[in-house]
Amino acid sequence: MTGRLVRWVAVLAASIGLLVVAAVDTGAETEGERVQRLHDSYACPVCDGQSVADSNASVAVAIRNFISDEVAAGASDDQIRDDILRSWPGSLLNPPGEGFAALVWVLPVLVTVVGATGVAFAVGRRVEGSATSADEQLVAAARDSGGSGA
Amino acid sequence: MYSILGLAAAVVGLAASVLGAVGGAFILITGRRHLLHTVRSWAWITVGTGVAMTVVMLRALSVRDYTVDYVQQVGSPNTPTLFNIAALWSSLEGSLLLWILVLGGFTGAMLVKFRDRRDDELFGWALVVMLGVSVFFYALVAGPANPFTAVTVPADFTPRGPNPLLQNHVLVAFHPPMLYLGYVGFTVPFAFATAALITGRLGEGWLLETRRWTVVAYGFLTGGIVLGAWWSYEVLGWGGYWAWDPVENASLLPWLTGTAYLHSVMVQERRGMLRVWNLALVCATFCLTVLGTFITRSGVIESVHAFSDGPIGAWFLVLFGIVTFGSIGLIAWRGDQLRSPGSIDSPWSREASFLANNLLFGAMAFVVLLGTVFPLLAELWDGSRLTIGSPYFDSMAKPLGLLMLFLMAAAPILPWRKASGEVLSERLFWPAVIGVVSMALALVFGGRGVAPVLGFGLGGFAGGSAARQVVLATRRHGWRGFVGRTNGGMIVHLGVVLLAVGLVAAESYKVDRTVRLEVGETASVNGHEFTYLGGGGDQNGRRVRIWAEIRIDGQDVYQPATTLYREQGVVVPTPSVRPGFSEDLFLVTDAVQTPGDPVRLRIVIRPMVTWIWAGGGLMFLGTLLAVFPGRRRRRGTEPTSVAIPDAAPVG
Repeated sequence: MTGRLVRWVAVLAASIGLLVVAAVDTGAETEGERVQRLHDSYACPVCDGQSVADSNASVAVAIRNFISDEVAAGASDDQIRDDILRSWPGSLLNPPGEGFAALVWVLPVLVTVVGATGVAFAVGRRVEGSATSADEQLVAAARDSGGSGA
Repeated sequence: MYSILGLAAAVVGLAASVLGAVGGAFILITGRRHLLHTVRSWAWITVGTGVAMTVVMLRALSVRDYTVDYVQQVGSPNTPTLFNIAALWSSLEGSLLLWILVLGGFTGAMLVKFRDRRDDELFGWALVVMLGVSVFFYALVAGPANPFTAVTVPADFTPRGPNPLLQNHVLVAFHPPMLYLGYVGFTVPFAFATAALITGRLGEGWLLETRRWTVVAYGFLTGGIVLGAWWSYEVLGWGGYWAWDPVENASLLPWLTGTAYLHSVMVQERRGMLRVWNLALVCATFCLTVLGTFITRSGVIESVHAFSDGPIGAWFLVLFGIVTFGSIGLIAWRGDQLRSPGSIDSPWSREASFLANNLLFGAMAFVVLLGTVFPLLAELWDGSRLTIGSPYFDSMAKPLGLLMLFLMAAAPILPWRKASGEVLSERLFWPAVIGVVSMALALVFGGRGVAPVLGFGLGGFAGGSAARQVVLATRRHGWRGFVGRTNGGMIVHLGVVLLAVGLVAAESYKVDRTVRLEVGETASVNGHEFTYLGGGGDQNGRRVRIWAEIRIDGQDVYQPATTLYREQGVVVPTPSVRPGFSEDLFLVTDAVQTPGDPVRLRIVIRPMVTWIWAGGGLMFLGTLLAVFPGRRRRRGTEPTSVAIPDAAPVG
């Protein structure tokens, strides 16, 4: 028992240690990475849900260039967002967390929590009195053979 | 002539479907089973007319008969043979022909497989449901989406050929048919589930009848989705493979519920539990294929106003309503018979892990569905225009994906009913060690960030767990350790791990740069050197292609190109990819260049993309292996009330 516990503590400790290294050693975001992240955040206005990073449409290229220029000029993410939304409303790929749009963030969490609660209740809950004759025959046969199934 | 022949086949197919469905239902309700053979005859006719319509359309395409409406839309004398065949599914009306052909194929396979049970009520009703679905599609092609409509050829008519993106890569010949085999294949388990509800034969019989059919449909859907991603990567020129657009999401939805069903069905087979849930999943999977088709065919997602674009979307919405409310009604009607005795005895059991699996896949399906239709809901609510794209889906899918990987590691080693702490510890230890080693390797090779490194670790954990099961099975049973549902399922798990690890790397460590190069100039990106050597071009009657020659790292030369398709006047980029075990270098030029002019080159470096395709291939192979009969074992259904064998408490 002790040996088993030690082995698992070692595995857990190693995992946590490696994750700490992974978290600490990420370094600051480079300008190129920031540009890439922003390119991934805005929708191409004429491309049906594609990001400006993914689209080859001329307007997507224009927004990409605009973002690159703004980043080079030292604009903040918020300034860039405001400027883009002024010219191309509705082009934010991540829906806002307020108003009706907040539901798109809240509902999945709510459904998952309700589902998880349901699963938790299902485990350990015994349903009685609804066995069909076929079920009862199966039970009887299994008891006769003394097995518990493969 | 082809218009008349095609329409005649459609009308005969529609009549046979109606007669088979309505007549079959009448025969079954009135108990005249000796007449059931007539339903089989009508069904065979629908199979024949499906083949006939396809042959007629392919012939019309090959001889370029522009008096046929569909040929006028997509035909061209300049389209090569392979893409001329693929033109069959390059537009709405033709793709419905493919749907009918595949539906006929599955109907024919059912007729052959169950030929000895011609008087069986369950099979009879399943056939009636198949023919009912057939009525819908035949009605479409005989009515509002008739591809055979005879049209006059205008004097100034210029053939256009299929969409240029659909004549740019050989994968277009395989991806749609494979996807349709998956989509339509799920009609068979739906038909049997409905038949079981109607007849009241709600034991595990219908599950066992359809187990292989479901696995086959699942395998094709998996293959179709992965091939679609590969096609997108190779053709669309945006450096990615999955954009979470409505069409992609529509294919993912039934895959998610289908995956949930393939797991939870084992709980019913073994324990007789989850009967309502499994029926609901089968019905939901079929409903989602219809909903997905509605979403992608109606144009409703772009704007609510697109509803008026054509009647096809409304037709699919009606079918969706009938199927959804019909399924709910039938399940409610049989509710009492569906209650199953027994319980899930412990959270440390195989069945509890399958429930958790269903929760995660259900949540994922909900996220995908909600994110896809939410712009429509928002527009209906307050007129606002929202775009929901990759950042939303990625942020929701990541935690669910990590939890799925964890569950993939734990579930296969859990026994039914209850596990002891000793069993858990013994079986999970080495997979856990592989997980830790995977994290360490990820760090050594430059991986950073908690989520991706955790993804590698959980991938190693899940891979170790699946590999352990495969090794044990092959030790015990030799080559049979690779076949059968459980063993094939572990191969699928290994494929999922490869795919997941590839996705983690390709998404987390992507480098995307655009550079402008003069001839002879070199750009250095992420340790690689890209030298622009110049360019070239060629042309034929169909297209003009201009390429840039890029030498990578002083070695091989790659030729990203732009292609102008003359008939459509459309320019499409043709990327050039240097694939590799550790990373892909993806090159694309984003404008037509005159050979030798400066080039604007987009360079996308994604690690481990080939792992995604390899994983998809392994998943497909695993489903094939799962279809083959495995080791003979005792009857699968374990009675629900048998005492649990003694097991030490977990801890």
